[in-house]
Amino acid sequence: MFSKILIANRGEVALRIIRACKELGIRTVAVYSQPDINSLHVKFADEAICIGSAASANSYLNIPSIISAAEITDVEAIHPGYGFLAEDAHFAEICESCKIKFIGPTPENIRRMGDKMAAKDSAKKAGVPTIPGSKTVVKTKEEAIKIAKEMKYPVIIKAAAGGGGKGMRVCHNDVRLIGAFLTAQREAEAAFGNPDVYIEKYIERPRHIEIQILGDGHGHIVHLGERDCTIQRRHQKLIEESPSPMLDAKLRKKMGEAAVKCAKSIGYVNAGTIEFLLDEDKSFYFMEMNTRIQVEHPVTEMVTGMDLVKEQIRIAAGEKMALKQDDIKFNGSAIECRINAEDPDNDFMPCPGKILTFNTPGGRGVRLDTHAYAGYEISPYYDSMIAKLIVHGKNRAEAIGICRRALDEFVIEPIKTTISFHRKVMSNPAFLRGRFSTDFIERLFEKGES
Amino acid sequence: MYIKEIKDMISLMNENNLTELEIEKEGVRIKLKKGASGAFERAVEYVAPQAASAPQAKAPTGSEKVDKKNTADIKAPMVGTFYRAPSPEAPPYANIGDMIDVGQVICIIEAMKLMNEIKSEAKGKIVDIQVDNAEPVEFGQVLFVVEPS
Repeated sequence: MFSKILIANRGEVALRIIRACKELGIRTVAVYSQPDINSLHVKFADEAICIGSAASANSYLNIPSIISAAEITDVEAIHPGYGFLAEDAHFAEICESCKIKFIGPTPENIRRMGDKMAAKDSAKKAGVPTIPGSKTVVKTKEEAIKIAKEMKYPVIIKAAAGGGGKGMRVCHNDVRLIGAFLTAQREAEAAFGNPDVYIEKYIERPRHIEIQILGDGHGHIVHLGERDCTIQRRHQKLIEESPSPMLDAKLRKKMGEAAVKCAKSIGYVNAGTIEFLLDEDKSFYFMEMNTRIQVEHPVTEMVTGMDLVKEQIRIAAGEKMALKQDDIKFNGSAIECRINAEDPDNDFMPCPGKILTFNTPGGRGVRLDTHAYAGYEISPYYDSMIAKLIVHGKNRAEAIGICRRALDEFVIEPIKTTISFHRKVMSNPAFLRGRFSTDFIERLFEKGES
Repeated sequence: MYIKEIKDMISLMNENNLTELEIEKEGVRIKLKKGASGAFERAVEYVAPQAASAPQAKAPTGSEKVDKKNTADIKAPMVGTFYRAPSPEAPPYANIGDMIDVGQVICIIEAMKLMNEIKSEAKGKIVDIQVDNAEPVEFGQVLFVVEPS
């Protein structure tokens, strides 16, 4: 087991990792940018090294600085957390060459799944269903019609060089397709300088279901169930829960096995998550794989009773996972609300500033992962998430009740936070019924229910 | 040096099964902490006082009292190990009392096996050197204090 680990991250995840290390008797080294000097992770680590100025490029993404800090403090391993360098294969390789263990997957794992098209390919090869689509760019409208017929409507035309919703057109029939195909090409040309488009099956009202997996590097991989992360705003997750109201034991087993198969096929090591889109008819499609510990990992921890960060550290230290798939039990229901320093009444505008009042919720079934405290200055340089409120109940209804109660107790002033937004969701009929898809937030604000 | 005090503290801790002990006396604070395994942690905090009246706990370079009003700090631009000279046998780049110029190499910071020559951003007289040779430094740590001319 390691005797000292450096945490190459900040905020709540740095604190999370420090907690796991402390419980394992491992000494910790925090690295921080100048404005983060009063951060909790700096205060609670055994040693702390300032690695640069505010900008991430100068600090949390500054590989030479971080490796230097690792060398002068003589650590044996680095935990990259999530974001920053967590999925930087180059950084993982540098750690290896400096004889510092990177707590996470191998550089090859990261590279393979980092390339989204190659990842989809890997999933396909492993026999995991992927979103049906054209294999290459679609050049003519005749080709487009042929492909749409194969995949069945509705389909979506996407710009190959695209993003941000531009050059995307949803079509429900041949007539619409022809017109849309030509305009999509023109739009793509105008926006990206490249008229190339491809076609995919369009999943209407999908649910976002991800499966947590753990691989021990000795060929043994298990899945720890799903997390339903459908509640998103502009593709950013806001609320996550497990189990998903859409999954029964049979579907969970099927998706879990698909995820494990996919991970096994690339020899995946350590913690990872496979993301799927779930259609209304319960068919699921591989979307992508995240080769890191994720923000919403506590949801899985509450339901399985496991400590995922400790497992990551043990796996990195070379331990064989004794856990078998049948040993993993799912208990009750967990929900996580990401509390951001944003104003939900003002288009979620970020609100950095000093926290004066910080009254944290407590009581049965409540877990709070946060790096904030009364007197803490939220800086404008990093992401706006300041806390994760995680609740656990016997079932979904109880978890929602606990969440509502906990949100009522959670007072953060004077900065604006998304607590009020979460309270609305916890009373929303569609959410309570468990029937919603990725357009939930859009519709919530459209209807003027906010 | 406070060897006797530290030895006494260690005995006190062992006799009474303490994992952490901090004592402040005459402006000097010493803290000893045992790790989870029971062994003493390497890091021993040794805080030098602000006022110049107490013994100079952190003054291996034997510096005089520094007038902070008319000085410029030269800070470490990177994380690494601080060296006063280009090699162990060579003389230091700069000593207290030396006049230095902008762009003059005043020390080395070793980072990732590379020796980086650090150039002065100030022109004037070195009145204090705040880091020992071969000590680790972090970004922004004060290395030299210069009286600008």
